[in-house]
Amino acid sequence: MDTDSTHVRLSAIGIVAVSLFLALFMRLWFLQGIDRQAFEAASVSNRVRVIHEEGPRGRILDRNGKILVDSETSIVVSLDREPLRKMEEPERNAVFVSLADTLQQLGVPTKLSLIEKRYADLRYAPQEYVPIADDVDPSVEIYLMERADRYPGIIVERKAIRSYPYGNLAAHLLGYVGEINEKELVERGGQLPGSENSSTTAPTTTAPSTSPGSSSGADSGTRLTDYRLGDSIGKGGVERSYEADLRAVPGERTIEVNAKGDLVDVLSLKSPVVGDDIWLTIDIDLQAHAERLLAAKIQDLRGGRDKDNNRLNAPQGSVVIEDPQNGQILAMASYPDYDPSVTVNGISQEQWEAFNDPNSGLPLVNWALQGTYAPGSTFKLYTALAGYNSGYLRDGTEVVNDPGVYTIENCKGEKCEVRNAGSTPHGTVNMASALTVSSDVYFYKLADKFWNLTDQYGETPIQDAAAQFGLGAKTGVPLSGENPGRLPTPASRKAAFEARPDLFMTGDWRSGDNINTSIGQGDVLATPLQIVNSYATFANGGTRYQPQIVTKVTRPNDLTLPANDPANYKLIRQVEPVVQGTIQIQPDQYAKIYDGLLGVTQSALGTASASWQASKTAWPMAGKTGTAQVSKKADTSLFAAWGPAGTGEPARYAISVVVPESGFGGEVAAPLAFRIMEPLSFGTLLPACLSADQSACAAAADAASAASGNDVTSGSAD
Amino acid sequence: MQSIGVDRRSISGFRGRDVSSAWKHIDIVLLVATALVLLFGLVMVYSATRRFPGGTGILLRQGLFVVVGIAAMFGVSLIDYRRIADWWQIIYGVAMLVLAGVLSPLGSLGAFGTKGWYAFGPLVFQPVEIAKLATVLAVASYLGSVDRVDLRRLGTALVLLVVPMGLTMLQPDLGSALVFIVVGLGMLVVGGVRMRHLSILVILGVVAVFGILQSSALDQYQKDRLTAFANPDGVSAKARYNIDQAQTAISSGGLTGYGLGKGPSTRLGYVPAQQTDFIFTVAGEEFGFVGSGLLLILFAIMIWRIWRAAQLAADSMGTLLCIGVMSMFLFHIFENVGMNLGIMPVTGIPLPLVSQGGSAVVASCIALGLVQSVHMHRYA
Repeated sequence: MDTDSTHVRLSAIGIVAVSLFLALFMRLWFLQGIDRQAFEAASVSNRVRVIHEEGPRGRILDRNGKILVDSETSIVVSLDREPLRKMEEPERNAVFVSLADTLQQLGVPTKLSLIEKRYADLRYAPQEYVPIADDVDPSVEIYLMERADRYPGIIVERKAIRSYPYGNLAAHLLGYVGEINEKELVERGGQLPGSENSSTTAPTTTAPSTSPGSSSGADSGTRLTDYRLGDSIGKGGVERSYEADLRAVPGERTIEVNAKGDLVDVLSLKSPVVGDDIWLTIDIDLQAHAERLLAAKIQDLRGGRDKDNNRLNAPQGSVVIEDPQNGQILAMASYPDYDPSVTVNGISQEQWEAFNDPNSGLPLVNWALQGTYAPGSTFKLYTALAGYNSGYLRDGTEVVNDPGVYTIENCKGEKCEVRNAGSTPHGTVNMASALTVSSDVYFYKLADKFWNLTDQYGETPIQDAAAQFGLGAKTGVPLSGENPGRLPTPASRKAAFEARPDLFMTGDWRSGDNINTSIGQGDVLATPLQIVNSYATFANGGTRYQPQIVTKVTRPNDLTLPANDPANYKLIRQVEPVVQGTIQIQPDQYAKIYDGLLGVTQSALGTASASWQASKTAWPMAGKTGTAQVSKKADTSLFAAWGPAGTGEPARYAISVVVPESGFGGEVAAPLAFRIMEPLSFGTLLPACLSADQSACAAAADAASAASGNDVTSGSAD
Repeated sequence: MQSIGVDRRSISGFRGRDVSSAWKHIDIVLLVATALVLLFGLVMVYSATRRFPGGTGILLRQGLFVVVGIAAMFGVSLIDYRRIADWWQIIYGVAMLVLAGVLSPLGSLGAFGTKGWYAFGPLVFQPVEIAKLATVLAVASYLGSVDRVDLRRLGTALVLLVVPMGLTMLQPDLGSALVFIVVGLGMLVVGGVRMRHLSILVILGVVAVFGILQSSALDQYQKDRLTAFANPDGVSAKARYNIDQAQTAISSGGLTGYGLGKGPSTRLGYVPAQQTDFIFTVAGEEFGFVGSGLLLILFAIMIWRIWRAAQLAADSMGTLLCIGVMSMFLFHIFENVGMNLGIMPVTGIPLPLVSQGGSAVVASCIALGLVQSVHMHRYA
């Protein structure tokens, strides 16, 4: 062997060896010295998971601290998928089959396909428990826990759910809670599974947050943003409007997992903080009373026919009671109602379809603020104000002869005559008596004059007055879905015609339109809430409040102690009344309208006097009936009023009652309002019935109202 | 280290009888480096296996193999390598039979349907580890006994290399098959094979590798693992996972590491095969650049000392023997550490003296014993 050549070749191999080691060193330095941070983050996201944990929502209380919506513990059967993943497929399937059978036998019908679907559900993080049966009986818990070895991966946990001690009462107002949907999640800045570009990390877990110091983070900021799919969120009513207060600050379990996904260690634990309590303006006793009478009245009406042989369908109805001195809503009843407990574990598809079937009467709709109706003669309050505002009427003593028919000035053609209801002549009427007897002719003439003298009064004196009372705009009540109603003007008529010329004969506003508007017909639409708020505004002398539904927000110290004991909570926020506008009116003009409205119940000629005539001891009330005509249907019956009235004391309650397809205002709505107000005037309001002792309690209430209501029912049938 | 003087020859004259004379020429540096790497290896096996239910048992067994390995190393080093070389045909023949036998029903079926070892109760023996050694011995003995490497002799040497390589491919154990190529190349280069012949061989080898990758001789998972490092986006998530987790573990160790037993990836088992093929990640994560760099330095010292032993060897047989062992170690180290660092394809090659596994540790120790023998008996 040539020695020189061997040396050269050995050196060559040595150089190769040195190069290879240099390459390794360089790569090692690159990874550990230069690129370290990126990989360190990868190492953390590898092994650290943050499990999001929802806490119990705050309670919803009535104005006296009675619990309307509570958080209670529900027993849930869930899958712990860690041990299940380790099983062979046949073994796992056997567990599922056996679980489905067992649950079936224990009275919890559970489909095998549901278990399999939930097992593979990617919306849940691998470490999260996946619920398969909600709200099971404690006996199921005992059965499964005693045989834990036979059901590996099956766990029974307890979680907070909504409960409704008063059943259906105030269901519309309270709203309900459901699982957050993708739209709501995105609106709150949450992440959808799959939007992160990582295939290895679980969808609803995240890397640990970098802000450790948020100790008692009970701020609404966290609550409003920290949502995950599967979380609960308020879907309507107060639950939705006050989500930021009611929602618990979510807890976080930061855990370390090994390569198989098994829990190794809990790194940190932040328990959820229970949500704050919401105190409503509602008096649940009054709410119960109003709901019960409304439902009874509607059920009683249905199937009957009116004088024109229109069927009295009374498909819905609503009652709103407001405190005129501050705009607080004391009761808000909408019929038909629904049982909010069906929403607790998610509304089933069948249930949802039933709720939205028009034949069901749409029980989820809160007609008090979502329903709009022609206000009929209740509108005359605003037309009356317009008469004074404009200066056309001076002192209210101006008289009009009402023969029952009014002929429109400068009118040619057949439709130049407009009539009172039933063409009833009222003789000589002034402002007060026109309101009391509901003379249409009086207001027709006013509206006709306005339209003939637009250069003097402008085009919209009536609408302007109605707008001062809040018509044609949302009241701003903090509840979703409120309808603004409609207040037609010459301008809006023109705009509507230009947008859809095919739908209207003309874009012109004529005398007849002004005349229709003056008595709340034509295109005018209002919600029962707008109507009660406008009468409350008049009742307190002209201050228009935004309807208020929450008085305060409190943080409970101990959920087991009485909710209404001030020692048990800390005040977070007091909600003050909001004034939205004031109406200026001269005292003598105010008195004329007031007298006219008081006469509605107190004068023998008043359209709603029958009920009050029958019970002289009940509070006198001032208000206005309305009977709105709807083509080919029975009339909408309306009544808006306040009380006590005419006694010198401040008004305490304003009420509006609206029942479509039911008949005259004086025959349906007014007697109903009377009977709702009656126990208030006597101080004999019964406590609302808890659904737990429903039957006995309700029987007592029925007996009480039957005793007081007999004479009234007969009296109203005039 | 070397003693200078006229008594050099006279000392070696007592070879075989006066054991202490050979002891004097043992390469202490290589020995210390070997011992330190073995110790380092045990610590890492401990860290990688302590989370297992039978972790202590694995560590004790590995310790036992280390002791057996050291004993074998000393035993082999005391025997003149030329005496061992006298038996090369028999040793090689037996090794090939044992290697072939693993393909028979006697062999045990492993992961992915590969057959690479014999199981004797709890003991597992991987014949390829001994086959590598026997092949080095055979090629060194054969080429070392001739003056010129002509084509016929080159052909014989190639046959000696191709037989174990082929048998290993049949298991199939691609990584170990590659070892034969690299070892062969190193020995042929130093063994005096003409550059012309070598060049042709290298070209043929490159063509063969591409041919194998294109053909259906390899399963897709093997191809994936081999090509993952070059084409990180185009490989299966499973192949990618190995690479990502290894680099994540090493990189997050930073300069000084998390400390023994504290590395998250190690503690929580994120790196697959961490006590064997991916044991370097333990060093990287728990001891950082300082610790894993030290391990590389110890390996570099070993390679240097083996290379030095090759240079100092008394005859070309000794030189070739050392070069064979050096090529084997160098390839194992570079391939294994390289795949841990993400610059080499993933193949099942253990890190010498460190990876858990008895056959590999004992075989590596015997190989180092041979090198020590060449060094100790260089004056004979």
